[in-house]
Amino acid sequence: MNKPDLLDKYADTAVSFESVTVEREGILILDNVTAMVPRGGCTAIIGPNGAGKTTMLLALLGEIQYKGFIHATCNINGRCSRIGYVPQRLTFDRGMPVTVTEFLAMGIQKKPLWFGVRNDMQKRSLAHLASVKSEHLAKRKLGALSGGEMQRVLLALALQQEPELLVLDEPASGVDFQGEYIFCELLDGLRKEKGFTQLMVSHDLATVTHHATHVICLNHKVAAQGPPRQALTNENLTAIFGMHMGMVDSRSMPDGSAICSGPCCSKDQDA
Amino acid sequence: MPDLSTIYQIISYILPFECLKAGFMQQAMIGLILLAPMAAVMGVQVVNFRMAFFSDAISHSAFAGVALGLIFSVSPHWTMPLFGLLVGLAIMAVQRKSTLSSDTVIGVFFSAVIAFGLAVVSRDRSVARDMQRFLYGDILTISNNDILFLLILFIALLIFQILSYNRLLYIGINPTLAKAHSIRVATYQYYFAGLLSLIVMFSVWAVGVLLVTAMLIVPAAAARNFARSAGAMFWWALLVSLTSAITGLIISAQDWANTATGATIILVACLWFMISVIFSFIRRDSVS
Ligand SMILES: Nc1ncnc2c1ncn2[C@@H]1O[C@H](COP(=O)(O)OP(=O)(O)OP(=O)(O)O)[C@@H](O)[C@H]1O
Ligand SMILES: [Mg+2]
Repeated sequence: MNKPDLLDKYADTAVSFESVTVEREGILILDNVTAMVPRGGCTAIIGPNGAGKTTMLLALLGEIQYKGFIHATCNINGRCSRIGYVPQRLTFDRGMPVTVTEFLAMGIQKKPLWFGVRNDMQKRSLAHLASVKSEHLAKRKLGALSGGEMQRVLLALALQQEPELLVLDEPASGVDFQGEYIFCELLDGLRKEKGFTQLMVSHDLATVTHHATHVICLNHKVAAQGPPRQALTNENLTAIFGMHMGMVDSRSMPDGSAICSGPCCSKDQDA
Repeated sequence: MPDLSTIYQIISYILPFECLKAGFMQQAMIGLILLAPMAAVMGVQVVNFRMAFFSDAISHSAFAGVALGLIFSVSPHWTMPLFGLLVGLAIMAVQRKSTLSSDTVIGVFFSAVIAFGLAVVSRDRSVARDMQRFLYGDILTISNNDILFLLILFIALLIFQILSYNRLLYIGINPTLAKAHSIRVATYQYYFAGLLSLIVMFSVWAVGVLLVTAMLIVPAAAARNFARSAGAMFWWALLVSLTSAITGLIISAQDWANTATGATIILVACLWFMISVIFSFIRRDSVS
């Protein structure tokens, strides 16, 4: 397929997984996964622990080997040149003396950090920290942050990439109420403003139903995918989680849309 | 032979010690002033990447490097750094491709190069005596050509560090995150492994196989305790390594000490480290 055809085929698609298979130590972790992530939307991957959600994101990021194809076509040139990534948890050496400001600068500043962080860079990272309500962390040591603080700093780092595709692996795990608000409402707002595509893993079905525009239900295979109302049926949830999930439609489905401000809740977005 | 006499004059002016009047001492001083900061700065990243064992393996490939020189009758001056470079890049490649843990991969290489070196050396008694030199190091026999080569390496390293200090830190924190944010992780890792191998081999000259890792790790470890930021860590490592190298060399030449230069340098650096540990305890107490 040449490029114009490709672009045509993926006109509304930011990422498309085509028969992606990942095998690790003889175990099929992803089995022939075919799924798509609509451009400009918020796609949620849900599934039980060990379903292969993180694996799917790592395959997209080119971090692990896979069979099949992943086409990332975020922009009109048919590429995703800037990706922001918030990992499930960051394993790093907490003894390393690095400040949050330095952490935010080290991916983009050219001048070596031993001459300090440039002024404009400091302003920039402070602005990004402010957008996740964490300006007070700027001078702190990275190794001394709490789990939720770290998640916020990681989101600031990802946003600083000015991403076309924002990949979040359980971003709201361990953050407080305000943090959940940031990770959902703030990102909804930013997405509308900047028009990036969001792909996230979440275990919180309420968040998913309120904020996602597209859902991929994964348990090694894709059990279902589509807009939340269509994908999050009792049958599908029972199929992937193996238990009855009656709470979903009674409590958090956005039928009484008053509590929901996410874009998925308006009817026209669903279609 | 390159003319370095002006530098020697400057040295004897700044450090007016009796022992630094001798030519070989001046050469040793220059060699150390070039080598110590290189080792320290690379050491900052060695500590961040947890690559201490890697550098240990490279330094032990010195024997095999010299042995290769003997077999092909090429000067060990060439075979040693080249072989080190080869081993370093090979370890990096296998480590990146294999699912084995990195210390297992390095352990295998370590055993292979040691065994090869010993096998060749054991054939020839006279060579075995020569090998002592690599165990304990011999900065006092450094030649002007070595110094010139060190100078070139120094400039290469300076350029490399200016271009990649920030990115290497990023990779040191988390390579997956760095890669996702479009840092060319593999390229940086290979360049780093290559340069590190060369520097390790030259450090073998100065302080010997047994103490090379100390020369990389100890200043960086002390710097971690002193520094509050990644930028400061760089300067602290430089300070600790340079002061240790200069005082170590001077002390070792005093009549009352008369010790091996390499070992003396490392001892001074370890003293720095102890101070840094106390310093970090005091700071922790005053913060909490
Ligand atoms: N490095 C690895 N080597 C071998 N198997 C792995 C590795 N990483 C993950 N796995 C396996 O792959 C499967 C899927 O892991 P993955 O991390 O993708 O799950 P997940 O859906 O993200 O789960 P969670 O909700 O707990 O985050 C698990 O069974 C896990 O044991
Ligand atoms: Mg996961």
